[in-house]
Amino acid sequence: MHNTRPARITSPLISLSHGYVKLVPLGLLVAAIGIGMAFFFGTAAGGFRRFSFAYLTNFSFLLSISLGCLFFVIIQHLTKAAWGVTVRRIAEIFAMCTLPLALLFLPILVPVILGSSELYPWNAAGWVGEESPLLQVKLGYLQSHWFTLRWIAYFIIWGFFAWNFFGKSLKQDQTGDVKLTLKMQASSTWMMIIFAATLVFASFDLEMSLSPLWFSTMFPVYFFAGGVLGGLAATTLTALLLQRSGRVTDEITVDQYHDLAKLMFGFTFFWGYIAFSQFLLIWYANIPEETFWYRIRFWDPAWAKASWALLIFHLIIPFLGMMARTVRRNKTYLLFATIYLLCIHWYDHFWIVMPHYGYGIEGEAIEGTSGFPFSWMIDFPCAIGMVGLYVALFALIAGDRALVPKQDPRLGESLNHVNP
Amino acid sequence: MAHSSSKQPKPAGPKSKTIGLLAQFDDPESLVAACERARDAGYQKFDAYSPFPVHGIDPAMGISRTRLPFFVLAIGLTGCLVALAMQYYMNAVDWTKIFPGYAFFISGKPLEISPANIPVTFEVIILSSAFATFFGMWLFNRLPQFANPLHRINRFRRATNDRFFLMVETADAKFDANRTRQQFEEWGATAIENVDLDLTDQEIPKFFKMAGIVGMFLLLVPPVMTFRAYGSTNRAPRLHVVPDMDWQDKYKAQQTSPNIGTDKEPVFLYADDRAMRAPVAGTVARGDLQEDDRYFRGYEPGTLPPPVKPVAAESSPANFVSTGGPNAQDPAPAVQDPATAGQYPGEPKWIDTVPAPFTVSEAAIARGKQRFEIYCSVCHGYDGNGNGLVNRRALALAATGQAQWTTAKSIHDPTVKVQPIGRIFDTISNGRNSMGPYRSQIPVEDRWAIALYVKALQETGIQPPAGAAVPPAAPQQ
Repeated sequence: MHNTRPARITSPLISLSHGYVKLVPLGLLVAAIGIGMAFFFGTAAGGFRRFSFAYLTNFSFLLSISLGCLFFVIIQHLTKAAWGVTVRRIAEIFAMCTLPLALLFLPILVPVILGSSELYPWNAAGWVGEESPLLQVKLGYLQSHWFTLRWIAYFIIWGFFAWNFFGKSLKQDQTGDVKLTLKMQASSTWMMIIFAATLVFASFDLEMSLSPLWFSTMFPVYFFAGGVLGGLAATTLTALLLQRSGRVTDEITVDQYHDLAKLMFGFTFFWGYIAFSQFLLIWYANIPEETFWYRIRFWDPAWAKASWALLIFHLIIPFLGMMARTVRRNKTYLLFATIYLLCIHWYDHFWIVMPHYGYGIEGEAIEGTSGFPFSWMIDFPCAIGMVGLYVALFALIAGDRALVPKQDPRLGESLNHVNP
Repeated sequence: MAHSSSKQPKPAGPKSKTIGLLAQFDDPESLVAACERARDAGYQKFDAYSPFPVHGIDPAMGISRTRLPFFVLAIGLTGCLVALAMQYYMNAVDWTKIFPGYAFFISGKPLEISPANIPVTFEVIILSSAFATFFGMWLFNRLPQFANPLHRINRFRRATNDRFFLMVETADAKFDANRTRQQFEEWGATAIENVDLDLTDQEIPKFFKMAGIVGMFLLLVPPVMTFRAYGSTNRAPRLHVVPDMDWQDKYKAQQTSPNIGTDKEPVFLYADDRAMRAPVAGTVARGDLQEDDRYFRGYEPGTLPPPVKPVAAESSPANFVSTGGPNAQDPAPAVQDPATAGQYPGEPKWIDTVPAPFTVSEAAIARGKQRFEIYCSVCHGYDGNGNGLVNRRALALAATGQAQWTTAKSIHDPTVKVQPIGRIFDTISNGRNSMGPYRSQIPVEDRWAIALYVKALQETGIQPPAGAAVPPAAPQQ
């Protein structure tokens, strides 16, 4: 039953072939225009601080997607999953993007090293009040040199993990060595643990420390849930686009899309579950040092609408929209659904990051910058530019390498995977 | 069958009826192929049996997708509404005559639907969906079935082991005994057999009927008992489920001595009738010696005057409150005269420096501030001026005659400012006037820290409230 289709791929195009020659410069051009516009209008509107916030939103968005894909790759090996072999390479390439993302982190890291506190208020000299023992405790952690060291460590670890899976898988394309799969399975165990640990602290550093007084141990899970959702959506969208343009033909079957859509459905709800759990505990305990983070997002009338919008558009609509089996197996529908999910995932990061542009360390409104700060001249081009850059990175890494692991021992099983 | 002893003679009729034709196949591929051909031949009422799930058999049989998900969705949404309605009724509706809800405010949370209701709603959705899936599957598959004629066919037993079967029902419009048998042979059946329904024994045994009726009545018992308990008052003591835990072989504080005799002629184990034992005379528990008068009591050793039997203090409730130390009416020494400052008749000589091993430090003052704000500020206020929350509330109640209250004293009062630190320590330890003792709540070191903080607070220049400076001669209760 399981060998009715060939394990070797015979269809001609399974790489970008020379598509990347066009994609890379195009993506870089979009990036230059978009980020340039954001920088120009951002600094005009609110100085470098305004641009930094827009940039951080988009950087977090892309980083979470890459980390979500890295998670997908690791868990595929950890569970010896066969169904996802044909889409794993796309996730591997997105995971590899963590390495160039390290360079893109410099616009955030360098000002911190130079002592700027425009983005992260904890970097200001004497920011910590004598009155708050809570801040004293965090003081040792939130130091620019530790912050720098941590980020170097994160990128080294993630880059190494991503390369471990991508490199070995590429090697297997040539040799067909089954031992490589076994090695990847073995390393996926401890890598998953370290990945979880780094993700926790990276989410603290990247977004939670924008508000150094606030703390939520559920925030890393929230970041993770959104990231995996984004990663799955990006993988699915890329697979759909590659198949539409004929770069990948019938290697990726409707059953892979069905499974990816099931995972997206699951992580949509997982995100909602975690988002609500974080909210409920803080709402119920009603401790001022925790509630102010939500007070910003629910007392400011503009942000209150934005928060309700997040609930409706990030949880309820995708939950109902991804529920039916028929739509999960419909490629046209999935194309729209994945683009929608990526947009709403971007909005999630906007919702996390941007309130701290207008509100200070204790949730007090900053004169002239409070309110809902979305700008079509700053945030929108910044997002388009960064996504363009990300596409260019994807094309650069993909090159003319195979977009499907050609000689994976579970490829045949994956090709014959059928959802009951 | 044991219960088939029907008394009436059965109407004469066929003993069995053929309901279908069964074909046996030797491998799953043949079964799938046969299913495809049965489907293409136009059969509607047929079923396939296999020892394990066979991939692709659903489309081969032409089975449409299950409607179960829609059923589950409907029940899940119902569960959502039921859970929200239930919580709203329980938490916000208390005006119904029978079975009212409990409209209690808890930590200021709203009574109506709030985020706090979502976890329960979520769980009810999950539970109802799980039940809907499980029992919906039963419903759609017409389960449970108590008997199946297939189980009377010996050959069919191998359907759980290594054979594959296909049965076409006679009720199918396309069924024709000969033609179907011929088709089975064409499709590669290795054996063909009629499936007969036994008609001789179709009555439900009387025993089951009786058991069912009795069971239904038994099911009514719990709700009836619940309603009975709801409408009655029971004054009987509660049941002791675990008597060993409720009555233990031990004696607690303040109990009488165990009786080792009989009820008529009691013999108490201890002559003083108490179960508690006093420490052996002349001994002190470890750490309880407290021989340093300066540190533990705040006065110079050997300056404690002999106890004077107070004349009027016998009936004074203040005497009750302040037990450990001297508790005469505060004589309020003349403020102006530094020579007499710190001299209190009938009291020992209070020390006016902190005693070793307590040391003055910023940490000690910070500790004192923290403890002061916990224990003292409720009455004395954060600034020590006697305007704490309890004081304010009590004064408001006293104004309407609902309470008796003596205004908490300001620590910036001139009569308090001149007091040596030892006396302040004593006031904290043993109370004074209507203030209660705090020695059991606050450890010695913390009491010194508070005294130190009070002294520091007095140096800040905070003015006592106007009119609070009581004339020295005025009696203070």
